[in-house]
Amino acid sequence: MSAEALATSATQTNAWEPKIIAFCCNWCSYGGADSAGMGRFQQPASARIIRVMCSGRIDPLHVFNAFLEGADAVLVTGCHIGDCHYVNGNDKTKIKYKYLENVVHELGIEKERLQLNWISASEGEKFANFIRDVTAQIKKLGPSPLKPEGVA
Amino acid sequence: MQKGEMYVGWSTKEEVRKRGGSGGLVTSMLAAALEKKLVDAVVVLKKINEFEAVPIITSDVNEVLNSAGSLHSVPSHFAKLIANRNLKVALPAKGCDVRGIIEQGKRNAINLDNTFIVGLNCGGSMHPVVTREMLEVMYKIKPEDVHGEEIEKGKLIFETKDGKEHAITIDELEEKGFGRRESCRYCTIKVPNNSDIACGNWGVTGDLVGKATFVEINSEKGAKLLQNAIDAGYVQVQKPDDKGIAMRGKIKGVMEELGKKWKGKIFVPIETGRLEYFRKELEHCIDCGACKTVCPTCSCGDISKCTQYHSRGDAYKMSMYHLVRFLHLADACIGCGQCSDVCPVDIPLTRLYRRFANPVQEQLKYEPGMDMQKPPYFEVKLNE
Repeated sequence: MSAEALATSATQTNAWEPKIIAFCCNWCSYGGADSAGMGRFQQPASARIIRVMCSGRIDPLHVFNAFLEGADAVLVTGCHIGDCHYVNGNDKTKIKYKYLENVVHELGIEKERLQLNWISASEGEKFANFIRDVTAQIKKLGPSPLKPEGVA
Repeated sequence: MQKGEMYVGWSTKEEVRKRGGSGGLVTSMLAAALEKKLVDAVVVLKKINEFEAVPIITSDVNEVLNSAGSLHSVPSHFAKLIANRNLKVALPAKGCDVRGIIEQGKRNAINLDNTFIVGLNCGGSMHPVVTREMLEVMYKIKPEDVHGEEIEKGKLIFETKDGKEHAITIDELEEKGFGRRESCRYCTIKVPNNSDIACGNWGVTGDLVGKATFVEINSEKGAKLLQNAIDAGYVQVQKPDDKGIAMRGKIKGVMEELGKKWKGKIFVPIETGRLEYFRKELEHCIDCGACKTVCPTCSCGDISKCTQYHSRGDAYKMSMYHLVRFLHLADACIGCGQCSDVCPVDIPLTRLYRRFANPVQEQLKYEPGMDMQKPPYFEVKLNE
C-alpha cells in the first residue's frame, strides 16, 4: 500500500495511535513497567519508554525536545516521594515539574499532554492503567499542536 | 544615621546643582565616595545628546561631576556592565537596575558587599527612537532643537533651544502609542526600597522644590555612603517635614496603582490559540541572541542550554532557544524591558516572558530581585 493509501485507511478506521514518551526511573517506574508485562496487564502499545537513572535527571529540555520531535504526550514518572534511590532526586523532579507544567500550559498545550505520576516497582497494574488512561485522553484530543509536519 | 531614616539633601557645589537635577545630591554622593576611597569606581552616564548617552565605569572625580544628570530617554541597564568584574563600585540605579544587580549577586557574578547601589525613583523611561518620532509627530518640533526634558505633574515637558516649553500629558501620549516603554507602564517598583539608599524628588516641598532630593536609607551601606558625603563636605541634609513624607507616600501609591492597572490591561488572558499567538510573535526571530546578551538576570555566559541545544536547521514548530528562555525566565524575569529594546525585528519579548513569569511568580510568591531569597527552583527540602 502506498503512503497515501495508508493515511486514508488510517483516518477511515480511526486507527490513529498517539505517540507517548514515558520517562521512567531505573529503580521504580521502569520496574513498574516490567512487572506490568510480567503480570500480563493489557496496555496499548502507544508508550515509548525512556529509562533514566533517576527522575531527577529529567531535564525540562528533554520534555520540550520530545514535544518538538512529535510526541503527543510526555509522562514523567519516578519513585514515590521518600522512596528515591538517591535520597531526594524526586523532590527535585517535583520542583522542576511545577515550573514545566506552568510553562507548557501557558504555551497553549493541553494539561493532559504532560503528566506526572509516582509508580513503584511493584505497581505493574497502576502503570498499565496509567498508560491506558493517558492513551484514551490523547486519542480524544488528537495529535499534538507542536508535532512537526510530516511526522505521524 | 541608620536604616529607615529619611532626609532631604542637596549638593554644596554650585556647578553640580546647576547641571544635575534636583540639587545634584546623587552626583555629589558618588563623587564623594570616589574621592574618599569608599569605592574604586563609579558608573555614570556620559551624555552624547539629549537622546543618547553611554554608561562608563570611571575613577575620575571630575568625570562623575560632569556626568549627564537624569535622562528619561536613555533606558540603559547597569547590571550586566559591572557583572564578573569584581569591582568596588558605587552606581545610580533605577528599580529594574537594582533588581538586576541583586539577581546577578545571587548568581555570584556581583559581590553585593562591595556594591553601593544608589536607587533612583523612576516613573518610567522612554525608548530613544520612539522619543524622536514622538517629538516630530506629537510636539511638532525637531529632535535636534531639544535642549532639556522634564516630567512634572503627569506632563512630559520638552524645552527647545529658543527657551520655549512644550508640554503634553503622558496619558495622551500613551494613548497614541508613544510615551514610556511598555515594561515601564506596568512596572510597580517606583521607589527602589531594595537598593541601599533610595533617592528622588518625590516628597520635596516648599522652597526646595526642584533644588533638593529626598533620600531614604535602606541599608547600612546606604547610611555609610551618605555620611561619607556629608563628612567630605559634598552634601548638606536636613530632616524632611511630615507633609513631604506623606506626599511621597501618596505619589508612590498612585504610581503603583497605575502600574497594576496597566498590567491588567496588557496581560489579558488568552483563552484559546495561545500556541499560535506565541508562534506568530516569534516568527520573525533571526536567532541573533541579543535578548540573552542583555538580559540582566541571565549569567550563563556564551555556552548555555538555550544556545547549545538549539540549531537554526531544526524544523521544529517552536525554537528550542525560546522554550528554554521561557522556562528559565519564569522565575527570574524582572520585566526590565531590555530584550524588547534590543530586538532587531521588534518582537515584544518582555511581554512574552512576562506571560510565563506572572503566573509562576504569583503562584510561588516569589519576586526576583527584591531581596536575597533564593529562587524556589533551588529549594529542595530534605525533610518534607
